[in-house]
Amino acid sequence: MFPNCSLGHCHIIIAVVLWSICVDSRKIRGISLSYKRFYRERKSFLCIDGSKMIPFDQVNDDYCDCVDGSDEPGTAACPNGRFYCTNLGYRSHYIPSSRVNDGICDCCDASDEYRSQTPCQNTCRNLGQRERAEVEGQMRVLGEGLRLKQQLIEEGVLTWREKQAQLRDLQRVSDDLQTQLDDLRKEEARRKEEADALREREIGARETADNSPTSHYRPESPISVFKELDSNRDGSITVDEVQAKLSPVQDEEHALSEDEAVALLGGVHRVDLSRFEETLWTSLRTGDNVTIKGRHGVPGSLADEDPNIKAAVSAAEKAAADLKRVEDAYETVYMEIRDLREKLSIDYGSEREFLFLHNQCFQLKVHEYIYELCPFSQVTQKSASGEVVSLGKWGSWAGSPENQYCQMRYESGEPCWQGPTRNTMVMLICGTETALRSVKEPSKCQYVMELQTPVSCQPALRQRGIHSEL
Amino acid sequence: MAAFIVRMGPLLVLWQSVFLSGTSAVDRGNFKTCDQSAFCKRQRALKPGQSPYRALLETLELTNTKLTLQLINDNNKVRLLLELYRLQGNMTRVKINELKPLKPRFEVPDVLINDPPTEPLSLLSQDENGVVLSLGADSQWLIVSAKPFRLDIMEGREVLLSLNSRGLLAFEHLRIRKDTQVDPEGAEKKEESDAANEPAEGETANEDGMWEETFKSHTDNKPNGPSSISLDFSLPGVEHVYGIPEHADSLKLKTTDGGDPYRLFNLDVFQYELFNPMALYGAIPVMLSHNAQRTIGIFWLNAAETWVDISSNTAGKTVFGQMLDYVQGSSETPQTDVRWISESGIIDVFIMLGPTPTDVFSQYASLTGTQAFPPLSALAYHQCRWNYNDQEDVAAVDQGFDEHDIPYDFIWLDIEHTDGKRYFTWDPHKFPQPKDMLQGLIDKRRKMVTIVDPHIKVDSSYKIHNEIRSKGFYVKNKDGGDYEGWCWPGNSGYPDFTNPEMRAWWASMFAYDQYEGSMENMYTWNDMNEPSVFNGPEVTMHKDALHGNWENRDLHNLYGLYVQMATAEGLIERSGGVERPFVLTRAFFAGSQRYGAVWTGDNTAEWDHLKISIPMCLSLGLVGVSFCGADVGGFFKSPSTELLVRWYQTGAYQPFFRAHAHLDTPRREPWLFGPENTALIREAVRQRYALLPYWYQLFYHAHYSGQPVMRPLWVEYPQDTATFSMDDQFLLGRDLLVHPVTEEGGRGVTAYLPGKGEVWFDVHTFQKHNGAQNLYIPVTISSIPVFQRGGSIIPRKARVRRSSSCMEHDPYTLFVALSPKRFAQGELYIDDGHTINFDKQKQFIHRRLSFANNALSSRNLAPGSQFITPSWIEKIVILGASKPSKATLKTPDGKENLLEFEFDASMSVLTLRKPGVNAGVDWTVVLQ
Repeated sequence: MFPNCSLGHCHIIIAVVLWSICVDSRKIRGISLSYKRFYRERKSFLCIDGSKMIPFDQVNDDYCDCVDGSDEPGTAACPNGRFYCTNLGYRSHYIPSSRVNDGICDCCDASDEYRSQTPCQNTCRNLGQRERAEVEGQMRVLGEGLRLKQQLIEEGVLTWREKQAQLRDLQRVSDDLQTQLDDLRKEEARRKEEADALREREIGARETADNSPTSHYRPESPISVFKELDSNRDGSITVDEVQAKLSPVQDEEHALSEDEAVALLGGVHRVDLSRFEETLWTSLRTGDNVTIKGRHGVPGSLADEDPNIKAAVSAAEKAAADLKRVEDAYETVYMEIRDLREKLSIDYGSEREFLFLHNQCFQLKVHEYIYELCPFSQVTQKSASGEVVSLGKWGSWAGSPENQYCQMRYESGEPCWQGPTRNTMVMLICGTETALRSVKEPSKCQYVMELQTPVSCQPALRQRGIHSEL
Repeated sequence: MAAFIVRMGPLLVLWQSVFLSGTSAVDRGNFKTCDQSAFCKRQRALKPGQSPYRALLETLELTNTKLTLQLINDNNKVRLLLELYRLQGNMTRVKINELKPLKPRFEVPDVLINDPPTEPLSLLSQDENGVVLSLGADSQWLIVSAKPFRLDIMEGREVLLSLNSRGLLAFEHLRIRKDTQVDPEGAEKKEESDAANEPAEGETANEDGMWEETFKSHTDNKPNGPSSISLDFSLPGVEHVYGIPEHADSLKLKTTDGGDPYRLFNLDVFQYELFNPMALYGAIPVMLSHNAQRTIGIFWLNAAETWVDISSNTAGKTVFGQMLDYVQGSSETPQTDVRWISESGIIDVFIMLGPTPTDVFSQYASLTGTQAFPPLSALAYHQCRWNYNDQEDVAAVDQGFDEHDIPYDFIWLDIEHTDGKRYFTWDPHKFPQPKDMLQGLIDKRRKMVTIVDPHIKVDSSYKIHNEIRSKGFYVKNKDGGDYEGWCWPGNSGYPDFTNPEMRAWWASMFAYDQYEGSMENMYTWNDMNEPSVFNGPEVTMHKDALHGNWENRDLHNLYGLYVQMATAEGLIERSGGVERPFVLTRAFFAGSQRYGAVWTGDNTAEWDHLKISIPMCLSLGLVGVSFCGADVGGFFKSPSTELLVRWYQTGAYQPFFRAHAHLDTPRREPWLFGPENTALIREAVRQRYALLPYWYQLFYHAHYSGQPVMRPLWVEYPQDTATFSMDDQFLLGRDLLVHPVTEEGGRGVTAYLPGKGEVWFDVHTFQKHNGAQNLYIPVTISSIPVFQRGGSIIPRKARVRRSSSCMEHDPYTLFVALSPKRFAQGELYIDDGHTINFDKQKQFIHRRLSFANNALSSRNLAPGSQFITPSWIEKIVILGASKPSKATLKTPDGKENLLEFEFDASMSVLTLRKPGVNAGVDWTVVLQ
């Protein structure tokens, strides 16, 4: 299905034809100038493969004598023969002998239909003109394309350098952050220890002073409150338990409704310790709404009372916040580095000419569908109803060994009914702008797109190209 | 095209999930077994025994053309009328109907090409036990025994065939339903003696599904009540029976004891399984029996659902047991017993008495006509796929064939080419300029086929639908409204093709000004014409749907034939009656051969499906349908490259040669598998094209005389019992034997070359082999083992071009394969390749080529004919020759020319260089 990337239509060789000499070889229909030497008028003819000698009048006599077909260059007699279309004014080429006098005009000079009913016109001049115009157009496109390509390559080099620099910068930032992190982690640990130590000491002191279980000053950790509320010791606090143990701050006699209890538990009927800390514990600590029955004050508010402890706790909190901030920053930088590395590890062509396609997307509407190609990322199809289907994620370059960069494969899109996953081949063709040119689905769920871009213009083409002496 | 699959919208999801569960094979639960088909169950419950039927000899009347006689069922006193005809060409027709049916019973129209001409029967003797009638030549008698009634056809003292000898004649007479609500119990108390023969006599209750039957969610209302018929046939001395397609089974039919009978009921079977008697898309109720002495055909002319039971007294015996019988001389004669059961209609049987296979083919052809003579290009290669997406795709595929130098003649468009599955229209985006596309093909001398199915989208903005509805041409449901069912377009109506006015209107829709975008190189494919109804019982039409006064029950198996008939007529008419039509159909019946080609439906890309294509097409060929093929590559699933190559090699030597693929499979045009495989496929296709003159000649013969193109070996070697069960090789005409490689990884095949004292030549190497031997042939991936019979002359065209039309005026190469007696004979047939002028104006060339006494000559076989061809004789290759001293060509103008020649002594091949003489004139080449 997929043509090799010989740049199909652009592949042009126009031979120079000098058709003035060798009048006698005109008798030998269907040969090129370079083969004339095999067909010098003699008594006999030696098949070009040397397999057989035949009388010369059996050359082009509409009967195949030579195994290699060389005795019938101008007729359809040999199954493996070929006929040379001279096509003066256009490209000469060979056609299989079977197309000689088959009623279909193959050579533009009509030379293949010398004995058929089909009237063929000599169209070589027109074709030549048209082709020259086309070729000129293509040459212009190619010239412009190559110029743009150079720009894009240069831009690519800059972008690449930029990205490399960015990567280095990021790396440096990351290193800095790493160092900071080490320090901050130590700092945080130290502050926390300090605060804990102060608290422990204070608790010890108060316990000695006042052993009352309902002490206002009892320092409480979330765990201890949790345990206190968890009457049945099943490791979770339920609505029942909340209703049993808690009451509104304003009115201790009033029982909590089930809805209120659920709300306190963050909208569920049962919480474990960690959810408790996020929900009910927070409410208890603010002390605005509810309190533990028979108790006054706010649990765990010990720090409020003692400026030293308060300072130590707030220092610990600050250290933790600092650490968190730097951790976040580090995470961000780390992700950026990873993305950038991934991006830089993609093969953007021998001169990184395809780098500029990164982060771009191209769309094309075909009937009711909008197709979108985001090179090196993915291909999607959006239907009129807005449904988006993945036609494949970036896979690899898939061109020929000579030019692997003329085809991209996107694979593992959405699976098909009873079949494999969708995939897309993107053929890259030379053009002055970068745009999606066509989308096809030759087999179900196998898509082929044409992406036109200057970076696919090949200078080789130009060298091979055209001698416009025609 | 598949039964149905995706893209049918949410409404279909439900039954998709039902139908598609376990997508790898047919869902048998969707189709009835005999037990689930009420009449089959009732009938099959009857066991062989004494028949309750008695012939009332006093009612016997003998006229010039027939004998009539009343039969009475002694159990219920219902009388039947028996009509016996002796038909020209050694056939006997047996018709049995109710003497006084409550209302007329269905008799199949439009299948016989005429009222078969009769010959006088003469009464030889008569007594109270019966009568003896002479069947004319060869001391053949027909004996009518009175009590119990039976018929025996004798030749001398030998019984060839007996009817009702096992007492299984059963005729459910039409009756009035008594109200079951009054006394549903009482019904069962009715005389039980009835049950002895007539299947459960319950005239009142709905016993055994007589008045109503439910399968899955579908209820079949049976206003006419029970109406089934059955008759048994015994074939003494017969161990091999064939035919009754379409089944995915071996060529030799199997006995059905302990399993279901072979079923004939046109159905769209999704992913059908092999080697079972389930019904498929088409039905031809014709069976052939064969032994070394005689071939007989039984044509059961009934278009209702039909089941065929086969049993044999030797089937259960081991080879040792049979040998023991033989040695002891004590064995009973082998015998095959057959029983036909149909749901409605009458018994109308044609017994074709042969005695040779060729005679049976002629006899059947005289009844139902012969194979349509296709345009030559239809015998070439067809490239199909569901779907070629758009005009560009068509152009690219066309170009691909030229780039890879592979010939093809037809490219096909499946349902997606239409505007929303509205047949006769084009998708405006994908095919905006169909005429440009067709002109592009004309420029390459190629052609196209578009699909036109018989389900019509119910859509008031669709012209075809509106016209059919306004003319009242749709099939009606039991309540009299237009019958509607689901198919590709969604809700669809089904035109009543049994109505001749409807058919005439349908045909007119193919006129160039009606079918917009059509041109003369565009032909037609009728798919889904069983008809397929996705939400109908067994994926087809309800049996109580109405075609005029008749129920679908009566004529179900005819629907597909009528669709193809009307379409072919349309293609003829649009050309002003000049051009031959080409129409492919999936559903068919006896007589469908007159309208075009058939294919074996939605097969699968598996090796066994490749293998089964041989017996499936052979079976069709035996009963008149020569233009048969299987989807090359397999429709469902994706073939391995090896399978694809082997399928091309096999398909190249089968009559209808078309590659096709399911929508969901990856593309598989011949050049997509690397240069080596492209070359292998190219070579297979080229072999087909080179052989087209021979194919064309075979089809001319099939058209002319009804002889099958693709034949089992036993047809030509009727006494060679070794050939009777062969499924893996076949003959094309008499002269080519093909044993394709159908085994994965095959390293060799063992071909059986028949004919004691005969020789066969490998067509590729010219190596000579003796007949009557099993020959092991080592094969490579490029091998297609094909042999030419010594004694034959086969014309080929060695200049294979882009399409068959391009080869029209090319010269011929004659391959003369000498018999051991240095004799050979063949033919050459030439005409314009596409019009009916060969028939209407005798514009053709038909020549006898014969080699005898060291001279090869061409003589006119059809003196009344006239045709001028520019083609000439390019080369003559004589296989098994000795070296002459000179070769002289003599032409009618008296000129003599010496021909140059080459002689290959190692292979004994003599090649005469360029006789150059016109293919249409008399000439002789003398070797000295």
